[in-house]
Amino acid sequence: MRPMKVAITGLTACSGCQLTLLNCEDELPELLGLCELVYFPLAESGNVLDAQFDAAIVEGAVSTPKDLELLFSLRNAARVLVAYGTCALFGGVAAMNNTISCRRDLLQTVFGDAVQLPESFAPAPLANYVSVDAAVTGCPPEKQEIMELVAALAAGTLPPARCYPVCTECRSRENLCLLLEKRELCLGPVVQGGCNARCPATGIVCEGCRGPVREANVAQELELLLERGFGREEVERRMSRFKPGWNYGQRR
Amino acid sequence: MANNFLKISRLDQFLETLRLFGELHAPTVSESGVHRFSPLEDPDELHLDYRRTQIPPKKYLFPFREEILHYGGGGYREGHSSAGDLVIFGVHSCDLEGIAYLDRVFLADRPDPGYAARRSRLTLVGIACEPDDFCFCTAATESASCDLFLSAGQDGYHITSYSARGSALLSAADHLLEERAAQPSPAISGPCYPAQDPELRFSDHPLWQKFASTCVSCGACSVCCPTCYCFDVREYPTLSGGGTRIREWDNCLFATHGEVAGANFRPDRLDRLRYRFLHKYCGFTPLQGMSSCVGCGRCKEFCPVDIDLRELTVAPEKVEP
Repeated sequence: MRPMKVAITGLTACSGCQLTLLNCEDELPELLGLCELVYFPLAESGNVLDAQFDAAIVEGAVSTPKDLELLFSLRNAARVLVAYGTCALFGGVAAMNNTISCRRDLLQTVFGDAVQLPESFAPAPLANYVSVDAAVTGCPPEKQEIMELVAALAAGTLPPARCYPVCTECRSRENLCLLLEKRELCLGPVVQGGCNARCPATGIVCEGCRGPVREANVAQELELLLERGFGREEVERRMSRFKPGWNYGQRR
Repeated sequence: MANNFLKISRLDQFLETLRLFGELHAPTVSESGVHRFSPLEDPDELHLDYRRTQIPPKKYLFPFREEILHYGGGGYREGHSSAGDLVIFGVHSCDLEGIAYLDRVFLADRPDPGYAARRSRLTLVGIACEPDDFCFCTAATESASCDLFLSAGQDGYHITSYSARGSALLSAADHLLEERAAQPSPAISGPCYPAQDPELRFSDHPLWQKFASTCVSCGACSVCCPTCYCFDVREYPTLSGGGTRIREWDNCLFATHGEVAGANFRPDRLDRLRYRFLHKYCGFTPLQGMSSCVGCGRCKEFCPVDIDLRELTVAPEKVEP
């Protein structure tokens, strides 16, 4: 079997998702048997962009003309485009202030009164600009999920999705319910599971890093949190940490 | 008359005897304060005054997630059931009835191999309890769906054996027991909540709409239910070229539960709640006409929005004009 030609790269992001993949040390030899890493600047395994790819695995949000240029060229050259991680899927932490801040003010905070500010726009998910064929969520994603995806791509398919909220795995692990028992601001009911309730298992609330679960009852979660004495602003602030623009009226 | 009474002062020795029949598990409290069944290392960790564990003992027979098949290189092998002999001590009658129901599902007709293997190596020791505000039962009951059942008496427990294995346990512990006149046993329990008319699921009760709008589909009611057994089977290719098939608890309130290629049998949360009502209180073929609610009260205690489907069987109060 011919190894897949793969591009792995990042747009506006912290490279954490790509590092997660590189940290799969036990699996890397097998992974390299399946993939020819044609373009993977972070790992310096290759930097040929002028090629056709079986898959492009792209981390990060789109927030500069350069991001856009790279994304378009990968979309045109790849059979399967994978949105890799929360930023690529939802905008992520870089987008948390999208709905409340003016881009120019943010740039000035970072670059001061420079004569020429770098060109940038509100960070957005890949799907706002191109069609996306597959996704791995998480900040960072679970190692298992990215390995599953690569294995499935090599087998000519995609892995089946997990469609339950964080609560399902959390309850099954016999964790203390932080929302009900400790009345903390936990986003478990509306956030995509698959992380095995990593945070609540150690007593930390779900921060929502994996984005909304399918058909999330956002309005009811908001009501639950308001009933527990949290302010609307605080709740929205927390919910938009990894994904701006929730529909707070959504009940299905 | 056989020795049938265990003084409370001899409970620790009795537990040691139980260890001869398998790894001993019992109700304990986790570091974060959650009641659960877990291996009992030290009798001091035993919490026999517990109300209900978050997850029922079904986890031992039907784990949340298990690998049921591995394939590759043109062949396959079934997953390991990894069953050793296990003794669960201190199970309430509702949870024992829950296991009895799962037995009907997984051991009838074509037995589920993993479940059957684990079930055959499981010894169940039940214990009497007092209902609390969440329990659906109103009085203490005794379940016969176990090997031994301990009912509380003055300074100890009256023990009844309900199986050959139970009798073997009693023989092994005979030196710890003494003879006492048996007390009148409490009612033998069964499914706690009566079977309902399937047509009720299409009633125009206003609570249907309310529940459909407030349910967050977190899955807690089903995850924590001793008789919910719906599962999903998925396959994940592995890097070595083969794949793994897993089985995982599913939930009728998830969008994917009724989803097939191109459509969904139950597209809305309301449809899913009606379906849950049907399965839980009316039963499916071949268990049609049988309620599977054993009254443990977990769904009521763990629901973040206080949904109790039983309220749908009570006619709404008429509001006088």
